[in-house]
Amino acid sequence: MTPALVLLIVVCVTALAFDFTNGFHDTANAMAAAIATGALKPRAAVTLCASLDLVGALISVEVAITVTNHVIRIQNSDGTPIPALMADGGMPLLQILISGLAGAVIWNVLTWLFGLPSSSSHALFGGLVGATIAAVGLDGVRWVGEGTHLDGVVGKVILPALASPVIACIVAALSTRVIFKLMRNVQEKYRDGFFRKAQIGSASMLALSHGTNDAQKTMGVITLALIASGSWTDTTAIPLWVKLSCAIAIASGTFTGGWRIIRTMGKGLVEIAPPQGFAAEASSATVILVSSQMGFALSTTHVATGSILGTGLGRPGATVRWSTAGRMGIAWLITLPSSGAVGALCWFICHLVGGLAGGLTVFGLIVAAAGYIFLHSRRSKVSHHNVME
Amino acid sequence: MNQVLAALDASWRILLVGILLGSGLPVLFALGVRALAWGSGGDAEEHLASEVNKPSLTGRLIAYTIFTVVVLMVLCGIGYIAAHGMGIRITFDGIVPVFSQK
Repeated sequence: MTPALVLLIVVCVTALAFDFTNGFHDTANAMAAAIATGALKPRAAVTLCASLDLVGALISVEVAITVTNHVIRIQNSDGTPIPALMADGGMPLLQILISGLAGAVIWNVLTWLFGLPSSSSHALFGGLVGATIAAVGLDGVRWVGEGTHLDGVVGKVILPALASPVIACIVAALSTRVIFKLMRNVQEKYRDGFFRKAQIGSASMLALSHGTNDAQKTMGVITLALIASGSWTDTTAIPLWVKLSCAIAIASGTFTGGWRIIRTMGKGLVEIAPPQGFAAEASSATVILVSSQMGFALSTTHVATGSILGTGLGRPGATVRWSTAGRMGIAWLITLPSSGAVGALCWFICHLVGGLAGGLTVFGLIVAAAGYIFLHSRRSKVSHHNVME
Repeated sequence: MNQVLAALDASWRILLVGILLGSGLPVLFALGVRALAWGSGGDAEEHLASEVNKPSLTGRLIAYTIFTVVVLMVLCGIGYIAAHGMGIRITFDGIVPVFSQK
């Protein structure tokens, strides 16, 4: 086995680990409101979410091999890696990928520890941008798209992150306000029964759309690594095992629940009553669907959080915990630079040690960091038993 | 600057459709619940202890019609996500959806 091949395997494992963290970070987006209002029991919610995630990832034929092209220039427009990075069995490209993934995984696990919802795609893009700056220089980054075509760090990351929570918030606030006006004379118990049932439908829509979108990014990264090392040549298809393993990784991540983030989104921001839960989910689902139809890249996390905030603003007399919202806002602002900094640092370490040993060192760092954070999290365990207490 | 304008252009469209469908659907559902509460009578609606709310067939019919529309809309949504994922492009020329393979 050549060193590049071993590194390729390590990159694949790391990418699947990232996919897993992507799953447990995003369960909350689809299910937090449904769990908070009692529409679904915690275990039932994550099981439903994981199943739909799996189905979504498997039915989707979207080929995201060019996913890195949105923010960096390590690939040609047809998806093949640029020749300079193909030397030595694709070693330079694999080093960028493992460093970028390191930034993304560590950021995801750290934000999970603090119970902060944060966008996994931003973490991935951040890590890759950081590693690319370190390896290629600032020219390796696609900062702004050309003309009115939304692309680059500005068009694919920053602008959607600013716009999408605001849009979702307005939509959810409007519907919450009207619903509570309409429900004035209806008994609360009677009303809530219906809205809980409706929530199951809207939460399912969110979970399914997550599956059809999010697993593709990891599939793209793994396929790119395979192409770089010469193990795969087709840029219009993804190997079946990659698709299967990514679908399983994201679904099992979803199944483990990310209870800390569910707690923050379900209870930390706003006390959610069933009508608010339904309003939030319907708003998120619509905004996500319309945006993907228009090719506007946004993060499910930002939309879901915006919607939940909106239901708090729309309901007369409800309190919104702005301190929690502020912490989230700060986390969003620093996602890209932080995972980028880790990505860049890891690339330097990787480069300094050199070759396969460098890649293995970075992998060891990821395992050590994630392990430490996990052990730290055991001090205040959050699980399906106590998630809404 | 072009990027900001493009994002603003996309944003107001998303907001518009978001309000129409994303707020419209839950509000429609709430109307259904309201109608059913009226249709069911009894204690579904708030009332004074001296009053008795009689069930109303009209209320129930309105409610079930609305619920049917809501369920159909949700099914369309799920169908849309699945179709989109399976590589079928759906375009809306006017209102009628057109399906084509990507």
